[in-house]
Order: sequence, then C-alpha cells, then structure tokens
Amino acid sequence: MSKRNPMGDKVAIVGVGATAYGRRLDRSRLSLGLEAAKKAIRDAGLAKEDIDGIAGTGSGMFAVGEANFLALQEGLGIREITWCLNAEMTQGILHAAHAVFSGACETAVVVHAETRSPVLSASAQTEPLRVRAMEFQGAGVRPFGDYAQGWIHSGEPYAALAGRYLHEFGVPREVLGLIAINNRSNAVMNENAVLRTPITMDDYLSARMVRDPFGILDMDLPVDCGEAIVITTEERAQALPKKPVYIHAATFGEANRGTEYYENVGDYRAMSPWVAMAALWGKSDLTLDDIDIFFPYDGYTINAICFTEAAGYCQAGEAWDFFRENWDETSNRLKIGGKTLVTTNGGSLSHGRSSGFNYYTESVLQLRGEAGARQLAGCRATLIASGSLYHDPSVAILRTD
Amino acid sequence: MPRSGDSVVLARFPHVLIDQDNVAHYHGLLEQRLLINRCADCGYWVYPHRPMCPSCWSDNVIATEVCGEGTVYMFTLLHRGREIPGVDYSGPHPIAAIELTEQKGLRYLATIVNCPNQDISIGMPVRLTWLDRAGVPSPAFVPILNTLNPG
Repeated sequence: MSKRNPMGDKVAIVGVGATAYGRRLDRSRLSLGLEAAKKAIRDAGLAKEDIDGIAGTGSGMFAVGEANFLALQEGLGIREITWCLNAEMTQGILHAAHAVFSGACETAVVVHAETRSPVLSASAQTEPLRVRAMEFQGAGVRPFGDYAQGWIHSGEPYAALAGRYLHEFGVPREVLGLIAINNRSNAVMNENAVLRTPITMDDYLSARMVRDPFGILDMDLPVDCGEAIVITTEERAQALPKKPVYIHAATFGEANRGTEYYENVGDYRAMSPWVAMAALWGKSDLTLDDIDIFFPYDGYTINAICFTEAAGYCQAGEAWDFFRENWDETSNRLKIGGKTLVTTNGGSLSHGRSSGFNYYTESVLQLRGEAGARQLAGCRATLIASGSLYHDPSVAILRTD
Repeated sequence: MPRSGDSVVLARFPHVLIDQDNVAHYHGLLEQRLLINRCADCGYWVYPHRPMCPSCWSDNVIATEVCGEGTVYMFTLLHRGREIPGVDYSGPHPIAAIELTEQKGLRYLATIVNCPNQDISIGMPVRLTWLDRAGVPSPAFVPILNTLNPG
C-alpha cells in the first residue's frame, strides 16, 4: 500500500456549483449537469476557454442518457479538451485531481447529475420520461434472472449486512437511527435540503419497513440534482478569486471479496472502507483531531457506521457507544469530541442523493466560510469518506491554509 | 466451457448473464444439481464463477457439485422488490447468503423456505432444496431441524 503522496496539497478545488435539489424537477440529467457546471466554472472566476478536462457522469465512454463528457463538452461549448472520463459516485473527482497533477489537463470540471430513477423510487415508475430515460441509461431495472445474480449492485445486501452487524456486535437498530437523526438535524439548517423536518428515534423506529432491518429512513432520498466542481493546480488556484481548497490526501480502496457478488463479502473489518481509510492515513500527517467535519457515506445508514469505524473514530462494532458518548443533546446531532460535526448538509439521507458529491460542495463552502446559517466557525479540514461498503470507496481530506 | 445445448440454457434463463465461465452452473440447475467452479489442482472453490483459480492461478477449473449443506451468513426480509414468479412480498420475502460447508466464505444466494421468517437466524443450519419458478428449477434452502430440541 503506497504511502507516497506527491499530489498532496498540490491540487485545489476552486469552484463549486449545484442545482436545486427536488423530488420532481422535470429536467434531464444533462440539463442538471450543464447548470451545475456553468455555476462551478463561474464560481471559480473562469470561463469555458479555461477548461481542458471534463469528467462526466456514468459508466463507459458513451454513458447514453447521462451527463456524460461528450454531451457536456458540446453542451457547454468547450472547443477542445485533453482529458475526459465518465465516472460514478465521487470517483471522478479523484481521477480529475490525478489528471491535473499529472499534466493531462490544467483545469478540469467534474460533473455529477442524478434524477430520481425508477430503479430507486417506486413513484418514479409512473413518470413516462423517467422510465424512457432509464431504458437507455444502462442501470435500468432488469427483470429477475435468478437469485444468484440478484445482489449484484443491489440495495438488498446492504440491509443484510446491517442485520449481520447488529447480530455480530449485539447492538440495537437505534445505532442506525442515530445516523438518520444526525443527518436530518443538520438538514434542518440547509435551505437546499429536501427533507428538513426534524425526526426523533420514535419516528425512526416506526418508519415503514422496506428491507428488514432497513426502514425507509435508512435509505437515501432519490432526487433530481446536479453538482459540479472545478479542479486546477496550486499555482493557478492562488491567482483565482476564491480561497483555494486543497486536496491534502485522497485515495481509492478495494477489498477483494464480495465486491461484485456481495454475498461473498469477507470479514466486516476487512471490507473496502478499511482498505481506503488505512491508505488515506498512510498519506497524511494529519489525524482525526485535525478534522472539523466528517462526511461518512450515507447512501444507507450502515455505510456511515462502517466508515466511522474504518476512519478510526472507534473500533469495529463500537459505533453505538461512540455515537452516544459524542451526541450533542442540544442540537440533537453528533459533535465528536465536542467539536467535530458530521455531514453538516444532511447528506444523501436528507439533503438528497447525489452519490456523495454534495460532501465535496459542502466541504468547499464550509472551508471557505460560505456555508451561511450552518457555517462551522474556524473550519479548516474535512474528511470525506464516500462510496459503497462493498466496493471502491474514494476518500479524501480537504483543507485550507 | 461451452457445451452443446447452451442455447437451451440461454432460453431457459433469459434474464441471466450467462457466459463461458458460468454456463455449466446453469446446465446444472436444469438438472437440479448445484455446481460451483472448483480448481482441480488445489481444490479451491472459485465463486463467483471465474475461469482461473485466484489461489494458485491454475486454469484447470471444473464445475463441481456441492453437498448442499450450509449455514445462514446474513439475510434480509424484503417488503418490496423486483417481480419474481411466485413471490409474494407481503410475506415479507427472505433472501439469504448461505455459507456452504465446502469452504469458508463460499456463499450462495437463495431464498429460505419451510421456515417462518421470525425463525430465520444467522448461523442457522440449512440444506438445499429445489423450487419451481415458472418451470425453471431454482435452488432454495430449508432449515435442518435440530432433532434434539424440536421446540
């Protein structure tokens, strides 16, 4: 596992942009991506002529029906680029940082656009334009084939893993509920969050059961949204109007069991988050004490538990005790060690599902001091632990001077 | 390893990704035999089905029948999900990762039958059985009853 980090603090995020988040914005993914990209490039104080790298959303070169790099380049009117990629989750951000650092491009825009997909939202199945788009997006609902292939990139195994976690460590479902409550309490302060009504543990426990032990509040909220960030070199960043946010350290991480057929997952303590977090700390001289805001992936509540433990806040299976010891009753949310906040924008559970991209835009706002009512005073460093439990998380520490 | 009759298998499993590396498994299902790829050189069970042994890198991998016994490693009860012939999610519908006795970490995904949902537990011993799903044999697992403690 490489501890080299020549890229450390040499690449910066200089622009962020986001669309509104909503359950039904009646817009294509490309439309959302274009708006976010335009906002991010303007936020950076740049023009389209300055962009020579694009990471779009989706899988494969064409990513039909997505905000893919081919459609984005043409849609934004960017004449020439020298680096391009489509990616899922937040992986495009790390790839773009590598591209800028290597010289493959000078300034990249990374775009993530989602719509409330009929794959994730039963109500979306009644909207013809969503159903038609999904048929071309590659991630459509396949008819049932057989059980053996039924958990490949399915939500069901996350519920099963949560059930095993509760069994193995002898802790109650409420440990999952504390993540749901924390994120909702934070979302109350985010005017762009879709779910802003505070919830109690009773609300959590009585929520409609979907995939036992997951109820509806354990699963992220499918929305329509677009997000984008602009990444460039340290040198260029220092000449731009906004305070640079440096990528201090970043890495992927992958375990080798259960990454495709999830039921074959290895020991909980050897899953992908542990690989990624160990690699990240190997690249940094910072410690958890230096982190002001922590963003553990919350596509499902169990992901946030696992990333919290893998990050080293506590040992495997200790999140239940740890969360209660670090719970701030006044604000009804986590305040680790009396200072570190967790997912200040409400995350995927309450702000809305952007596959982790909104951790980056929220981090940048907080690190610049532009987070408004929810600004954490003196925020200097954030830890983003994004991605699936089962495969390829991408984790990063962002900081300012 | 493609065999004669692959087109029959493809027709019987129209929505499954079947390729050269797992087609023998699906031939087996039609004969109600649960076949898993196994390295003929070192004995390692290779699942998901791959054409090469990840342990010793031998290419001598052969689909081999398992005994059909195992334990529940993890499970979920689904209150909704994709349409499956004969499945009623109001149950709710259990899906479990069954750790097969042949090898630690070797797990097969299936439903559990002849067992009330509230009695399904991690570590529960189970045995292979077969369901008919729209005319296609589908592996499932039933609890192995503890005869010393029938209650």
